Amino acid sequence: MKALLAAAALLAAPALAQGGADRLAALDRRITRLEDLNQIERLQRSYGYFVDKGQWAQLADLFTDDATLEIGGKGLFVGKARVLAYMQLSFGPDGAKEGSLINHMQFQTVPDVSPDGTEGWIRSRAFVMANGGWGLPLYENGYRKVDGVWKISRLTGPFTMYADWSGWGKNATPNTWPDKFGPPPDLPPTNVYLTYPAYYIIPFHYPNPVTGKPFRPDRGEVGAYAAPPGTREQVEGLKLGRWADGTQPIAEPPRP
Amino acid sequence: MSRRLLLAALLLAAPAAAQSDLRTTLAGYAHRVQLLEDQDAIENLQASFGYYFDKGLWDQAAALFSARGSFEYGQRGVYVGQERVRRAMLMYGPQGPAAGHLNNHMQLQAVIVVAPDGRTATGRWQGMVMLGRAGDNGIWGVGVYENEYVKEGRAWRIAKLHFYPTMFTDYDLGPAKSAYRMEGPSALFPPDRPPTYVYRAFPGNFVPPFGYRHPVTGKPIEPLPQSPDSVLGQQPGTPPPAAPPANPQFERARPQTGVQR
Repeated sequence: MKALLAAAALLAAPALAQGGADRLAALDRRITRLEDLNQIERLQRSYGYFVDKGQWAQLADLFTDDATLEIGGKGLFVGKARVLAYMQLSFGPDGAKEGSLINHMQFQTVPDVSPDGTEGWIRSRAFVMANGGWGLPLYENGYRKVDGVWKISRLTGPFTMYADWSGWGKNATPNTWPDKFGPPPDLPPTNVYLTYPAYYIIPFHYPNPVTGKPFRPDRGEVGAYAAPPGTREQVEGLKLGRWADGTQPIAEPPRP
Repeated sequence: MSRRLLLAALLLAAPAAAQSDLRTTLAGYAHRVQLLEDQDAIENLQASFGYYFDKGLWDQAAALFSARGSFEYGQRGVYVGQERVRRAMLMYGPQGPAAGHLNNHMQLQAVIVVAPDGRTATGRWQGMVMLGRAGDNGIWGVGVYENEYVKEGRAWRIAKLHFYPTMFTDYDLGPAKSAYRMEGPSALFPPDRPPTYVYRAFPGNFVPPFGYRHPVTGKPIEPLPQSPDSVLGQQPGTPPPAAPPANPQFERARPQTGVQR
């Protein structure tokens, strides 16, 4: 009680009342941040539920009008309408299809929000369980708060591994490429990389949570790990199978 | 500083006119924090259901339900009331861990939405399943939970648990070569109500309705184009079989606030 009276007496001074208002505003920001992180996770998980069942119209509504989408090695699709076109033209009209299982389960979210609360990011993964086999996309996505509503502003989903049902010990499907299926992309892939059994480490949007230091995969090596980073095989692998521009072939080699 | 102390101090510091504003602001913050805590409690509640269900701890699992809570798994029909739910779970194995028995039902990808009044909530979950019997090959499964929760006193409980399995397959063969059918209603221990929706697992492709609103448009997530099904005869774009009336048990549970025993 003594402490309460002391605190009250101190806060009764106008200067300290201002301090109280600041604390209230800070409290509001902290609560809002937690709500925002929740909403970003809900967006990403809903994206997964819509992919699972081919609900493309509902899926496209998760995106901003100017959103970009890049999945695997297919290239960039620009704008909400093109997100919808990519899904519908690549995977068929809206609706789950008999004899098809394309579960893209959304796990392991690490969401973040900018200090001003208008931009967000996530690192997360999809665990694909499909009638064709297994898959492991990663995500490093961007989100934007528009008129108080969070939307996906950038979906970046590089693949780690795809395999048929015989398993990744026996089989690995190569990364996709721009003309593998569906509509051509609006822009070429931002990055050319190989999937399992090679490695690709998409940069983290956030620093190491303990050291606070950013981790940046070496740009020169990104997409070219044919063996674990740091091994002799990996260093030699960097010199193999490269085109003059430093990229690696992922399908038909470019023709002169 | 505790919320109460902060409130007291700020009230003393503020002119009378500002005091009611302050009370409103702080009440608003407290409510928002409460909703976050509710969501967290529900996440733990559902995760605990999974841990109990995995190991045949039916007594513990059933205790998570409200007195008139309901349990529905695939096409087995709806069981209503804690004791009926507990007995229904015996169809999945004996009480307690059983030798050579794997019954993993993982509770993943939660979208939990707590109602603004903080009394009820919905949850959609991805249910990955790994089943096994010693000597038999393993079984992969997957499905969706669409659940409802109710706060009774201070505790959240499961008011409706509805698991829609959508695929079971042999571990090695995979869905392209193997698809297990779901069990129908038990003749030995019949359910209180028939299955809410008639559907079949893979190669069927039923879309479980969404219990929450679209996170961007704020509208109900519908229409939800369903798979054309060569057995059930559904056409693309048609809604699922007529939805039953809202779960009367849940509707009754809604306005009640005291803990039911």
